Amino acid sequence: MNYQFNWQAVITGEYGQWIMDGLLITLQISAVSIVLSLVLGTLIAVMRLTKVRILEWLALSYTEFFRNTPLLVQLFFWYFGSHAVLPEFVNTWLYEHDFEFGAGVISLTVYTSAFIAEEIRSGIFAIPKTQLEASRACGLSFLQAMHHVILPQAFRIIIPPLISQFLNLIKNSSLVMTIGVMDLMYMARQIESYAGRGFEAFTVILIIYLTISLAVSFLITQYNKRFLRQIAY
Amino acid sequence: MRKLTILAVVALSALLLASVATAGKIEDIKKRGVLIAGVKDSQQPFGFVDPQSKQLVGFEIDLVKAIADKLGVKLELKPVTSATRIPMLTQGSVDILAATMTHKFERDDVIDFSITYFMDGQKLLVKKNSGIKSAADLAGKKVGTAKGSTSEQNIKNAQPKSTVLSFETYPEAFLAMNQGKVVAVTTDSGILLGIKNSAPNPDNYEIVGNYISDEPYGLGLPENDSDYRDFVNKTLADLWTSGEYKKLYDKWFGPNTKYYLPLEWKMEVWPN
Repeated sequence: MNYQFNWQAVITGEYGQWIMDGLLITLQISAVSIVLSLVLGTLIAVMRLTKVRILEWLALSYTEFFRNTPLLVQLFFWYFGSHAVLPEFVNTWLYEHDFEFGAGVISLTVYTSAFIAEEIRSGIFAIPKTQLEASRACGLSFLQAMHHVILPQAFRIIIPPLISQFLNLIKNSSLVMTIGVMDLMYMARQIESYAGRGFEAFTVILIIYLTISLAVSFLITQYNKRFLRQIAY
Repeated sequence: MRKLTILAVVALSALLLASVATAGKIEDIKKRGVLIAGVKDSQQPFGFVDPQSKQLVGFEIDLVKAIADKLGVKLELKPVTSATRIPMLTQGSVDILAATMTHKFERDDVIDFSITYFMDGQKLLVKKNSGIKSAADLAGKKVGTAKGSTSEQNIKNAQPKSTVLSFETYPEAFLAMNQGKVVAVTTDSGILLGIKNSAPNPDNYEIVGNYISDEPYGLGLPENDSDYRDFVNKTLADLWTSGEYKKLYDKWFGPNTKYYLPLEWKMEVWPN
């Protein structure tokens, strides 16, 4: 072992700043994508549950398509591939704005929402059908029944698998560096190629990713515990 | 479970601490009978896949071939990118790097370099009539380059008001420019020449600007193996003094090639 470790180099000075910048981008892209994928995933799940054939079929194809294709390919599809089919003025507008970040958010959102839709659907199925029938019998509309009776119960069941989807999203966000988004992973590779301090840089970002994941999962679990107390049977 | 964890930790530590026996590189290579060189595979005319023969060819590949011949061993090529080249050398997956790498003192911490074998400087590649003439025109615009290259830093210093987008390889950056995602691709002029003249319609592009920086290329060698480094330096100097270097240079950058780049610098050759 003739390697001299130099931890100082990667956590202080210019390289430390790079890691902070990367962390900020990783947090931003993850936060935006988590919120959007939760909204989109819920929408897709509800579409699958309505008894309208065309909506069901659309939601099903969406889920199957995006769950069963690699995320990396989807990233390149949105980033490089979309150029060919979009009208020129749309492209120009996109490139004037932060399209790299945008394409990253779209990919992560679409990919994760397909998984989230499945989790929500199975959560809703776990609630006995009689509850829906009973609420309808009480005079609630389908959406009211969903909102007041079914979803609050379903979400309790859904929370744990949902956490793991969020964590997957955070981990998957490390792929966006392939389209030029300067996230944590990008910065670590940068440090590796500039200073040759790959081992230190990757160790530091592994710890950072781990910390983010554990924090997210802790916060949601805490929220869930309170939430449970509120709507005890 | 706890026992398992402790076991895993112990095993990992053992792995990390496993000391690598370091004999001299030259003996290693001769024993193996093969020199493993890390080269670029999509960078005309330095190192690229020849469309006809499907073989890796290029100026840098001829250079490492000469070194392998001098050692009396076969040559094996491994493709590297700007981001992976240094780690591949430090891990020992390659013995030498000939991968358009600028010699920087910062990189000297982890690897060693040969004397300069190619001298270049950074410029801009733009679409014709783009109105961009120099780095000054890039203020508020996006410019593409490759990850892990000096080009990335240089352009940030030359034009702090531009946004730099880095891709895995230069061809990808060039695609981004053709799609309008960036207005220019910036790197060493020799590489830009290669990109421009391998495009289907080279006349649609132009290389503009003054040299933003000096880019002396050195061969990457393992840290602290001075016998090996001396050997490589001597080989380069011999190539230069025997006129062999000029032949190789003209084969790839001469007036009759697509990548004409006049030889305007001299190798630092030490007397025998």
